[in-house]
Amino acid sequence: MQKLKIVTAIAAMIMASPVLAQEITVWDVNVDDAAHATYYDHAKAAFEAAHPGATLNLLSQPDAEYYTLLGTALASKAGPDVIWANGGAQAKALVGGLIPLDDKLPDLISKLVGKSAFTGPDGKLYFIPTTLQGHVVYYNKALYKAAGLDPEKPPTTWAELTKVCDTFKASGKPACFMMANKEGYNAEFFLSEAANQSLTATQQADWLAGKLHWSDPPIKAILQAWVDTAKNGWYQEGGNSQTMFMDEFALFEQGIAANVMGLLSNVAHWKQFEKNMGVDKVGVYPMPSPTVAGDQHEGAPGVPLDGGVGYGVNKDSPNIDLAVDAVRILASPEVLSYLVNDTGSVPANTEVNTSGIDSPGLKQIMGWLATRAVPTTHANSSAAELDEWHRQSQLLYNGEATVEQAAVALDKVQADAKPQK
Amino acid sequence: MSGAGKRQRLALRIAAVPMGLLALSCLYPIFFAINNAFKTRDDYMRDRFGLATQPTFDNFVQAWSRAHLNEYFLNSVIATLGAVILLMVVSSMAGFALASLRFPYRRFLFAVILSSLMIPVQVVLVPFMRTMLALNLVNTHIGLILSYTAFFLPFSVYMMTAFYSGLPRELIEAARIDGAKLLQVWWHVMLPLGMPALVTLAILNTLSCWNDILISLLVMQKHRTLMVGISALKGQYSDQIPLFTSGIVIAAAPIVVLYILFQRRIVSGIAVGAVKG
Amino acid sequence: MLFLLPAILLVLVFRIFPLFWGFAISLTSATSTDPGQFIGAGNYLRALDDPNFRSAMANAVAVLLSVPIFVTIPMLLAILIHQGVPGRTFFRSVYFFPAILSSVIIGSIFSVVLSFNGNLNALLNLAGISGVDWLGHSATALPVTLAIQCWSTFGMGVLIFLAGLSTVSKEMVEAARLDGAKMWQIWWHVIIPELRPIIEFSTVITTIGLLTSMFGLIYVLTGGGPGTATTVPEYLIWAAQGRLNRPAYAAAVSMVLFLMTSILAWLQIRILSRNANI
Repeated sequence: MQKLKIVTAIAAMIMASPVLAQEITVWDVNVDDAAHATYYDHAKAAFEAAHPGATLNLLSQPDAEYYTLLGTALASKAGPDVIWANGGAQAKALVGGLIPLDDKLPDLISKLVGKSAFTGPDGKLYFIPTTLQGHVVYYNKALYKAAGLDPEKPPTTWAELTKVCDTFKASGKPACFMMANKEGYNAEFFLSEAANQSLTATQQADWLAGKLHWSDPPIKAILQAWVDTAKNGWYQEGGNSQTMFMDEFALFEQGIAANVMGLLSNVAHWKQFEKNMGVDKVGVYPMPSPTVAGDQHEGAPGVPLDGGVGYGVNKDSPNIDLAVDAVRILASPEVLSYLVNDTGSVPANTEVNTSGIDSPGLKQIMGWLATRAVPTTHANSSAAELDEWHRQSQLLYNGEATVEQAAVALDKVQADAKPQK
Repeated sequence: MSGAGKRQRLALRIAAVPMGLLALSCLYPIFFAINNAFKTRDDYMRDRFGLATQPTFDNFVQAWSRAHLNEYFLNSVIATLGAVILLMVVSSMAGFALASLRFPYRRFLFAVILSSLMIPVQVVLVPFMRTMLALNLVNTHIGLILSYTAFFLPFSVYMMTAFYSGLPRELIEAARIDGAKLLQVWWHVMLPLGMPALVTLAILNTLSCWNDILISLLVMQKHRTLMVGISALKGQYSDQIPLFTSGIVIAAAPIVVLYILFQRRIVSGIAVGAVKG
Repeated sequence: MLFLLPAILLVLVFRIFPLFWGFAISLTSATSTDPGQFIGAGNYLRALDDPNFRSAMANAVAVLLSVPIFVTIPMLLAILIHQGVPGRTFFRSVYFFPAILSSVIIGSIFSVVLSFNGNLNALLNLAGISGVDWLGHSATALPVTLAIQCWSTFGMGVLIFLAGLSTVSKEMVEAARLDGAKMWQIWWHVIIPELRPIIEFSTVITTIGLLTSMFGLIYVLTGGGPGTATTVPEYLIWAAQGRLNRPAYAAAVSMVLFLMTSILAWLQIRILSRNANI
């Protein structure tokens, strides 16, 4: 392995040497974040050591304008060499401007998980995921205890979860779940968490292909569950105007609600909650399904999981090989370990050493990931469907639309975004 | 003084109360920004409105060095200064021509400039970027200055036209009868008379250029401007608000100082402009 | 004519030429990575069939109804400052401050103040009124967003009107006062007629501003929701251009918005500029 790396490095050096003072530009949105600093510094150092004379220019871009800028730059053939993107719809919309990486980095790719969020319609991989994104429910053990619930026994079935929420509802305060759906994100997470065990593997594949519709029973049941949980008072009031990042999670830490649908990436995860609430106060469980699929059994822990963020190579880059090597370094286990240790992200590369992390929450999560990780349903939806689901979920939450109306509107968007031949 | 004068003074005094409250509400965001720039991210999350109990300079240090704001500052100054001066010259000339001179297609040309005021920026992103690339203006200060001038010019021309058309025509006629050339009329009469509007434009355009993100994001990836650097501080989840806020405080400080200094110019500018009657 | 040349050149090269190019793009199926094919009016027909586009247009009309408020408030404040209200220097400096700061900061303040468990509802609860989810309900989200927009931009309007007031003759105001005219009579018969070019300017500028630069505030306050309650055309364009990767559709909606503002501005100028010599 070590030998291979040296060979690759030398090969890359030979390829890079004819032209001096080459610059590889990377567009990203996290470069200026203090918690990410060590990771980027090491990536830059490793790249520049491997390619004397070349520089790695890591540029942080404003998040609100990122995809507008990227789209404009790519259409004008003025994009960066290396492109950062969120997995799912955003990444898949960009594949036409990128090179497939399967033949370029076969060794690295064989070690990866969470590839589906970055795979093009041709089945090729266009981004190398660095970290994963997944969704679990975090809960406040102290509040469980105060409500008379066993803090060491989180719900495993929908019936148990309903009982938990009924208990909190009867006590008045705190709310059972945090709800932050101003941007529609909570509805996205709900969809993926509820679909996690509600859909069979075939149905998941049909969803990706656009053959399973929003008005079909398995999905419609999730829309209904969204409405019912709101109607039954699971959430704190004002969820439609609640900002998710980071207000919702700060409120959860303060004990406004007992449960929150959280992430596995670099924020709103076990690390943040364990740090701010205390290791013994935070628990985690996979969201049970309101309707368990026929090929699964109730209570089996599974987690919706996919590539979270990744790096791809612009097909118009004048230095494609050098850019590919920049991606390789950004996703290499050595460099990535700094990101994992500093931010608590779950790496997409199975060779990253995570032994330095000592967290009961993460150990549990890693166990579920190993046994049953399901593609993230919202990452397999088109951007247009997600946009419409944001809107419809808010109307459903307010009681301004019925499940029937929402499903019809969503079906229309789906048919347009994923036309069936 | 008549009774009406006394009543008016009383009315003004009463009006000062809600106006004062409004003024206080306008001061609050400044306090909010400064206060939160001294908090850590977690402190901010815990209590957004409370005082920073353990003030930290870390945000400023990080914003200034790690986010290269020290480099970006100069780029912003060059672009803003260049564009604002160019805007004032070009728009006062155009406003003078449109408001006071007679020539063919005047209405049509005015309509062309005015209509460009209504172009939503998104529709021209790709064509604009490719035009800039074709003219070799990407990543140059002159490119950004020209872009800012072009984007904020319609507003400025329109304002100068509106302002000049409020001035009595006799002033220009008188100067022309004296045998002055048009350029002299512009320089000696219109420019000084236009001061109140020009100073206002200078302030508004400084703000537009200084706070712009989208145009400079497209034109200047190499020598980025301050606001682009600051917007990039927010991170993937827009969660680095105190860090971002410290950047905003750094960026807004010179604007606030300049504006307060300019206040005197506005007052004297208004005095110069009061010629009618 | 020569005086106009630099302005016309700049506008033609950097604004009008890209506009025509953008119009050409709106007739294609382009994405950011594919120039696409010519599809004629396809994107415009798609807009007509898009319920979000229809809501955005309806919201734009609602936004336009608030233009008189956005013009009148700064005008009244500017006249009061001009007439010598006590504390005028202070007011003139301070009113401008919200406009200096980023909409992100304004948004961070108001999204907490207005949240269901926020400060405003706490105040209302003290008075025995039950709270409202101001930004979470379709009925209140847009008016509240507009109010915040008004508050954060009125300072610019005050500045513009103050510049315009400098052309109002002090002698005429004084003469009217000596004739025994009441304050409102002086305002109505002397000051406001003199301000007509600036009122027209301010109306047109405010209309354009509301239709093309509210994105920043909407993005941080409501994200266009709930549902489409605060989705204005500009927001739709941003989403289509960026995360939906449909730049050609964004171009088509932009062209519609451009046409709409142009017609509106033309109408406003027709109505308001009876005496302007343009």
